[in-house]
Amino acid sequence: MVSTSTELIIHLMNRAGFGITPDELDACSLMTYEDLVENLLNPSESAHISDDILFRDHVDLHASRSGVPAYWAYRMISTQSPLEEKMSLFWHGIFATGNSKLNNLRTLLNQIEMFRRSGTGKFDDLLIKLSQDPAMLIWLDNQDNLNESINENYGREILELFSMGVGNYTEDDIKECARAFTGWSVANSEYMSLMAQKDSIWPYGRIVWHYDFKPGIHDVDNKEFLGEAGPFNGDDVIRIICNQEATARFIARHMYNFFVADEVPVPQWKDTPPKDPAAIDTLVEAYFKYEHDIKSVLRVLLTSDFFKESRYQKIKSPVELVIGTLRLSGEYNDDSKVDSSIFGVIAESDYMGQALCNPPSVEGWHTGEEWISSGALVDRVNFASQHIGNPDNDGVKHILNRIHADLKNDTHTIGELIESCGNSVGITRISGDTADGVLDLFTQEEVQTNGQDTDIAIEDGTILRVLEFMVSSREYQLC
Amino acid sequence: MKTVKTIGINSNQPVGRGFNFPYDIAINDDLGKSRIIYLLNRPNSATRLGTRIQYFTFEEEWIGEFGNPLDDDEAKFTRPVTLDFNSKNQLHVTDEATDEIKIFDSDGNFQRFIKLDSDSHRNADQFGPAGIAIDSDDFIYVSSRYLNVIQKLTSEGRVVTEWGGAGSGPGEFEMPWGMDVDAQGNLYVADWRNDRIQKFDSEGNLLHIFGESGVAIGQFNRPSSVAVDTNMNIAVADWGNERVQILDEGGSVLNVLEGDATLSKWSHEWLDVNLDEREARNRADLKALDLPEHLKNAYHEASQTEHKFWGPVSVKFDSDNQLYVTEHSRHRIQVFEPVNLK
Repeated sequence: MVSTSTELIIHLMNRAGFGITPDELDACSLMTYEDLVENLLNPSESAHISDDILFRDHVDLHASRSGVPAYWAYRMISTQSPLEEKMSLFWHGIFATGNSKLNNLRTLLNQIEMFRRSGTGKFDDLLIKLSQDPAMLIWLDNQDNLNESINENYGREILELFSMGVGNYTEDDIKECARAFTGWSVANSEYMSLMAQKDSIWPYGRIVWHYDFKPGIHDVDNKEFLGEAGPFNGDDVIRIICNQEATARFIARHMYNFFVADEVPVPQWKDTPPKDPAAIDTLVEAYFKYEHDIKSVLRVLLTSDFFKESRYQKIKSPVELVIGTLRLSGEYNDDSKVDSSIFGVIAESDYMGQALCNPPSVEGWHTGEEWISSGALVDRVNFASQHIGNPDNDGVKHILNRIHADLKNDTHTIGELIESCGNSVGITRISGDTADGVLDLFTQEEVQTNGQDTDIAIEDGTILRVLEFMVSSREYQLC
Repeated sequence: MKTVKTIGINSNQPVGRGFNFPYDIAINDDLGKSRIIYLLNRPNSATRLGTRIQYFTFEEEWIGEFGNPLDDDEAKFTRPVTLDFNSKNQLHVTDEATDEIKIFDSDGNFQRFIKLDSDSHRNADQFGPAGIAIDSDDFIYVSSRYLNVIQKLTSEGRVVTEWGGAGSGPGEFEMPWGMDVDAQGNLYVADWRNDRIQKFDSEGNLLHIFGESGVAIGQFNRPSSVAVDTNMNIAVADWGNERVQILDEGGSVLNVLEGDATLSKWSHEWLDVNLDEREARNRADLKALDLPEHLKNAYHEASQTEHKFWGPVSVKFDSDNQLYVTEHSRHRIQVFEPVNLK
């Protein structure tokens, strides 16, 4: 059996990263759990495949005309700072902005890079940066939010979906909030939004957008917002929002849903209590104690008992499943050249229901069981078994070598092989159903009587079959 | 150095007029008619669709294209990188995926290819031809992206000599890319990942090293291309710094270009039939650069404006010493007056 600490390491890396390879597990085993958490929260450097290599090999990535999901996938696969990418993914799911309307992927990538830079800082600062993010401004039409003719779209969504949640503000608050954000726009907004609408690349490709405050269309008059009054602008409104308990509860529940256990979809939060109210209370308390600092809230979450005890309570999102599998298979680890197949591979996540940079709506993706439709499940199983079942992949070769080294004698029991293969792909609790399924792979008559105690020869083909079965199991769909 | 003109327009179509991530050009002044530009497009990493060479006159009269993946097997490209003409007006194109130099006549008819060999190098399964330069005697120099060497070949493809090796010492390379030969037969190599230009004589003896890593004037960030005019002025595509630096023969910086694009003939034609965009464009200030602090670097400044270089990947001089800067991410060529023209 693996030790509890090994299970915890795997759990932590599943949730705060994209799984763990056997070598990484060895390295992590030398550290305390608390140090591991600190390393994730404070990575020494953001090591990942270099942009210069990516851009030289795939020049269209330089301008991000297309391929941003592939570019981001490369970052997630190669990063040594997985929590940074995980937090970017977290905010991308909440502040869901889609290229289907923007037609400007580079601007959207700048938003994702903003999440990477600011995603673990003070929530107030993140909301200000979001409110000045040109992709978000065009996505929610704030370039049309004028002092004499307000557009409520951004004012509504920042309250409903980005901070407080339905039921914690009035329709008047929405209007006042929108007034505060008048004039928060992008440079050359008329031309840029026209090019976005027409999906125009002419004459010289897409021009990336940047924030521009237009004082001439900003409403400077008094506003009444959430019980306070003054000539508020967007910064003031965000300060007021971030001081609300509803905001703390909303962000806490999102963090719980993403890192701890699947919750019901956001539209049901108004009527459905949290799965673990005490855990939410703990995170809310941390939010205020640490002055809205997301990293501090994360530290409390990742070191809490409710987190440590939440193993196998989440269904991996498509991106988690795809990236975790590719980190394990080691297919894209050569940092001297770039493999074009990444473009097709990351598209598999789309088929499973999560297209990076194109969330289904401003509400983002519904998570948990909604990831699993019959079609998506087939895609997930096929994807994992194809990549982990391919002995040409460097990571798989390495796993084979490790299992041979682990099981030094030529003959071992099926049970020992199951355990070794499971540990290699991050599964530490193998169910009876999964073990029985592995037994069905073997044709020896004695399996009928000896079960997992049956001796077998440890050969590559046998190991690969068990590995494929393991990543096709229910356990591999969970984290 | 003043801008002479801007050539091109973006297109996302796999065939026809318009550029899509242009990667290099070759200029032919020797066909007895107008100056003709051959431009290599390398779009769409996922499908390669639209990878091809287009050719057109300096006045933007469209002539044709070849090398499309839809073409027959011999002519089509997989991952082409650079191109150059020999004295017989044969266009040579490197393809780093197939380890070939493909050779075409000036009408785009495929003639033959030279296969580059990595067998003599241990642990190397690919040559990865990147840059190409052909001297006045039709010797071919090709830089190897994977082997980190320069090979000198006869016009038939026989290896005459080879030098270099992986490293950052004098005469070594890290992923070399574009090259050019000067009037005296010396070779200049953009030593891409060492952030420098190395100059060799025709036998591979190191003569000079220009530049080092950085953003200051005289420093480079991943130089991708180098060209030398008849007065021995050296243009360097300082790709990662989104600029072109002009050096004199001794390496002193004469000029730094950041781009000053105008509307090309094809762009004017397009805007003439898309009046809503032309009018909105006329009301915009596309040189505006009031960027937030985190975007204040060469890449973002280039991406957020239209006139600046964005991805200046290739530099070439024509026979009048006019400088052509090809920008992959703005899908155009900016042409500049000769260096030192008063």
